[in-house]
Amino acid sequence: MSRANVTNSTKANGVPPVPVAIREPIQWLGLALVVPSFVLIGFFFLLPLLMTVWMSFFDWPLLGKSHFIGLGNYVELIGETQLWHSLGFTALYTVLVSIALFAVSFPLALLVDKPLRAAGIFRTVYFMPVVIGFGAASTLWLWLLNPDSGVFARLLLDLGLVGSAPRPLENFWPTLGVVILMVVWKSAGFSMVILLTGLQSIPNELIEAAKIDGANAWSRFRRITVPLMRNSILLVLVLNVTSSMLAFDQFFIITQGGPQNSTISAVFSIFLASFTSYRLGYGAALSLVLLVVLVAISSVQLAFLRTRPEES
Amino acid sequence: MRRSVLLTTLSLLAMSTAGQAFAEDVNLWVRTSSAAVVQGLADKFNAEHDDKVIVTPITAEQMVMKLGASIAAGAPPDAVVMDLIYLPTFAATDSLEDITAFIDGLPYADSLSPSHMRLGTFDGKKFAVPMLPDASTIAYNKDLFAQAGLDPEKGPTSLKEIADDAEKIHALADDTYGFMYVAASGSWQVYTFTPHIWAAGADVLSEDGRTATIDTPAMRDTLALYNKMWANGSTHPTSRSGVGNDAVSAFASGKVGILMTGSYIVNLLTSQYPDVNFGIVPIPGPDGGASSFAGGDALTLMKGITPEKKTAALAFVDFYMQPSQQVYITEQAGMPPRTDVAAEAFASFDPRNLIAYDTLAAAKTPYTFASDELFVSRTGPWLKMLNRAIFDGDIDGAIATAQEEFTRILERTNP
Repeated sequence: MSRANVTNSTKANGVPPVPVAIREPIQWLGLALVVPSFVLIGFFFLLPLLMTVWMSFFDWPLLGKSHFIGLGNYVELIGETQLWHSLGFTALYTVLVSIALFAVSFPLALLVDKPLRAAGIFRTVYFMPVVIGFGAASTLWLWLLNPDSGVFARLLLDLGLVGSAPRPLENFWPTLGVVILMVVWKSAGFSMVILLTGLQSIPNELIEAAKIDGANAWSRFRRITVPLMRNSILLVLVLNVTSSMLAFDQFFIITQGGPQNSTISAVFSIFLASFTSYRLGYGAALSLVLLVVLVAISSVQLAFLRTRPEES
Repeated sequence: MRRSVLLTTLSLLAMSTAGQAFAEDVNLWVRTSSAAVVQGLADKFNAEHDDKVIVTPITAEQMVMKLGASIAAGAPPDAVVMDLIYLPTFAATDSLEDITAFIDGLPYADSLSPSHMRLGTFDGKKFAVPMLPDASTIAYNKDLFAQAGLDPEKGPTSLKEIADDAEKIHALADDTYGFMYVAASGSWQVYTFTPHIWAAGADVLSEDGRTATIDTPAMRDTLALYNKMWANGSTHPTSRSGVGNDAVSAFASGKVGILMTGSYIVNLLTSQYPDVNFGIVPIPGPDGGASSFAGGDALTLMKGITPEKKTAALAFVDFYMQPSQQVYITEQAGMPPRTDVAAEAFASFDPRNLIAYDTLAAAKTPYTFASDELFVSRTGPWLKMLNRAIFDGDIDGAIATAQEEFTRILERTNP
């Protein structure tokens, strides 16, 4: 039955018009089609989330019986210096790694956007590390960084750049430096692809017109390319910030929190509470605090993303 | 006639189904590093018995997590071969099956590695038997000792002597180091460092594991000597950030005089680096004495195991405790869990194994309910203290902080 027929017939009978949607026979089918997603989201997101909230009110050991302690875990975590240190460190890491990723991936995107035959090869080469898992990449780098048998130490020694094998993992800033280097190597290709789609969505006519108007390369880049890529750039930032706030593998595997517990990220501290201290309830409370922080950061970023360039 | 045939068939059928019902599968979890030896023993056992032992390897770092999760889910394995350091934690949470009567009834009960038995005892009940023990020791390079003018046949007998020897060996060449250990791994540092403290008659925890006793003269002296060897450059630089794999290859390369290691090194060096001329000595305290960390695996049954499976699992224990299997274990893993089979077990092996084996009877293990949090974790107070004292030289500050953090953790985790 078409929409027009329904409206006509109600008019003719003088009966108040019934909202069309309710009468639509196809309605239940729509519901049926979304049920699988609802079930999946319910089982694998909502249920674990509710379970985490529930557990955070308990003293819930990995082994043995759990008992209700109300807000005990939350009271304790407010006074815990390690948590605030971890959040501070994670924020520092996020800022540095996001800047580094952008600084590398944007030029890469501009380079592989060139209409050369080799561009395809370079795109593939830069993107390749992205398909490696974070755990595998971290293990690989742990070996590369080994001062006695690793490739980096041998390379630097043979080139005569250093007198003795560098041991970056013994001090804070070199440790953070090599982790950021690893993450840039691993993830820059992904940001590059997103930025590349942004670049390629800019109509050539605009660039041509600007050229005719006498704009040089720099002003074309600043006045046309960057503003029109705004959404791709924001998307890259949102994704990088979120994944950096959740950083775990690279610190768990490469630095193991060292030196002197200075590189324990927020997720790492949840892991430690849950599986080193065997306190699942406290770990759940930490997870929820991190969730709140992440939701806050993401909503600010998404608010930026939602505003259209022409409105701002 | 026909009736009797029918009866025979029926009774045969009944016998065969009954036989099936009695043949039990014992599901045994093992940490990956021990899986090959345990699988070997299980194969031998399964070949001779109706009951079968089925071995499942679990990554060592995930053992506590997975076991904890399986207990919570109500589906634990029947038995586990686990690092003995975790036994008190599981025993205290009522997760293990009491096997006191079985152990006390064994004719060789008094010869089971004493530290494994102590760790497997809680509230007067016995929950575990040793399976694949090992003991921490010192390996030293006899060639380097000779070159440095030291007696290659007589290894160091005190940590002070080690410090002096290390300095002399480092004086041989810039890239030759006197001393090496694995400082960036909690399991390594509890394995090779605590024996110095025990050798001096002190300890890091009270007998019952409930109180921290970090601040002792023995601890101060030991840390001061380690710090001295770091500051004067006689310690191999990879000691600081190494996690284990590099130490053996560094020692095997002939550039390290004295290595803090474990009994397993004898078989490893003789099989893979036969050219290394090395000796083995027990770990001394600052002024002398000798001790060792009794490490390795113990077998324990999980609470809730059926009586039939329990019988089968204990039959497996009695099987591998027999002298012929003890020889097999020694051949594969370097050391047998019984302390009365040296003559048989080591008859055809390198006699240097015996030095570590002799220390096993007197070796210790910290009895603790929080081994991960205190000792094993890379982020725990034990490693924090050692790093700060040895590499930064702040011995007083490091000990005070560790005593405080140990006490805080113990107050929360003591059962």
